[in-house]
Amino acid sequence: MQCSDSLRVQAYFDGEADAVTAADIERHMERCTECRTLHRGLEQLRTALRRDLSHPPIPPALRARVMRALDEEGSIDAPQRRARPTWRTRPFWMGATSGGLGMAAVAATLAFLLLSPQLSTPVVDEMLNAHVNSLLSTHLIDVVSTDKHTVKPWFAGHSDVSPLVADFEPQGYKLVGGRVDYLEHQRAAVVVYRHGAHVINVFGWAAAQRSLPGKLTRNGYHFVFWKAGDLQYCAVSDTGWDELLGLVRLLQDLGGRDAG
Amino acid sequence: MPHLDSAYRFARWLTRSADDADDVAQEAILRAYRGFDALRGSDVKAWLLTIVRNCHSTALKQQQRRAQVPLPEEHDTQDGHAFIASTPDPESASIRRDEEQTLERLIAGLPDDYREVLILREIEDMRYREIAAVTNLPMGTVMSRLARARSVLKEHWLLQANGEPHAVL
Repeated sequence: MQCSDSLRVQAYFDGEADAVTAADIERHMERCTECRTLHRGLEQLRTALRRDLSHPPIPPALRARVMRALDEEGSIDAPQRRARPTWRTRPFWMGATSGGLGMAAVAATLAFLLLSPQLSTPVVDEMLNAHVNSLLSTHLIDVVSTDKHTVKPWFAGHSDVSPLVADFEPQGYKLVGGRVDYLEHQRAAVVVYRHGAHVINVFGWAAAQRSLPGKLTRNGYHFVFWKAGDLQYCAVSDTGWDELLGLVRLLQDLGGRDAG
Repeated sequence: MPHLDSAYRFARWLTRSADDADDVAQEAILRAYRGFDALRGSDVKAWLLTIVRNCHSTALKQQQRRAQVPLPEEHDTQDGHAFIASTPDPESASIRRDEEQTLERLIAGLPDDYREVLILREIEDMRYREIAAVTNLPMGTVMSRLARARSVLKEHWLLQANGEPHAVL
């Protein structure tokens, strides 16, 4: 039987845990022999890998060949083309996604999350995963900014959708940045707000046909779903319902104004 | 264009063949250059390795189509049950029995899904988030695959070490 904290220990080992979580895991390892052994094993393996594996650089002949080809392409003005790179539209890109997301359920059971089996909507699992990961790791945000004019354009290059972004600091919901997470085979846009000590992640992705519940609670986190235009939104946080719904109302009002 | 060495190394690990790695790396670098302008983020390395991975997967499919070996019905290799590793021939004379070769061989013998996350983390030193982007997987899956990869590799490594008195732990 593996200790349920093993993935947290791995995250700590990989430098993915923030200072508070790291301290928590260190305390845990003092008590848990299994996790101490795991951590030592990870160290031994990394030492051996870094010591013993060769890291061949690109062969000079290949480099020369590539450079020659690039020079030739350079003369036909490649950088002028604004078209999206071809790899984004290839079928294998989507093909690779389906298997990965099928694994999400497996990952969730393995993860340190306390799982309650009552709701098996994969997208809720994915969001819960993403939300908890964002709190655990130092990667809460990819683009740090309180300025919506910085955050919104950033999504254009990184996400499949362009979500509503606004700062509601006067109302107590401070915009802190944006992030991309994979939801339902898409690069969903996540707008991150702070409300007091709480983080609220607002996920936005292209709406599917089927309907999602209006709200639900999973592992102590509240989820509020709504649609605006052709986008599906979901706000996730461990704040109280009133606080979370407060932000949702602000966003819905804004969405209504933009549409009108 | 930075990260050419990383692109080549990753191609080596994915293809497990120097010749195929050349082709995949070249195709990926050229394709990356053509799309360079569309990349507005800063994470060039993750982006380039994503293209390497896609090129490899395309090449693999083409190879399979060309081979046209009548397989006993295609297995769904993505469902988590069909993780069958193809280990290099253990009799091959080219395998030197030192630690480097041992670890390389053991990694080469890992299932593809495990090998790629391990390489991206341990060799390319990438963050979970970047690995998730390259492999197009949710971060939770990256974490669990990485844990499995390490645990399987460690297990095989210990077996190897115990079987060979000269190996150093």
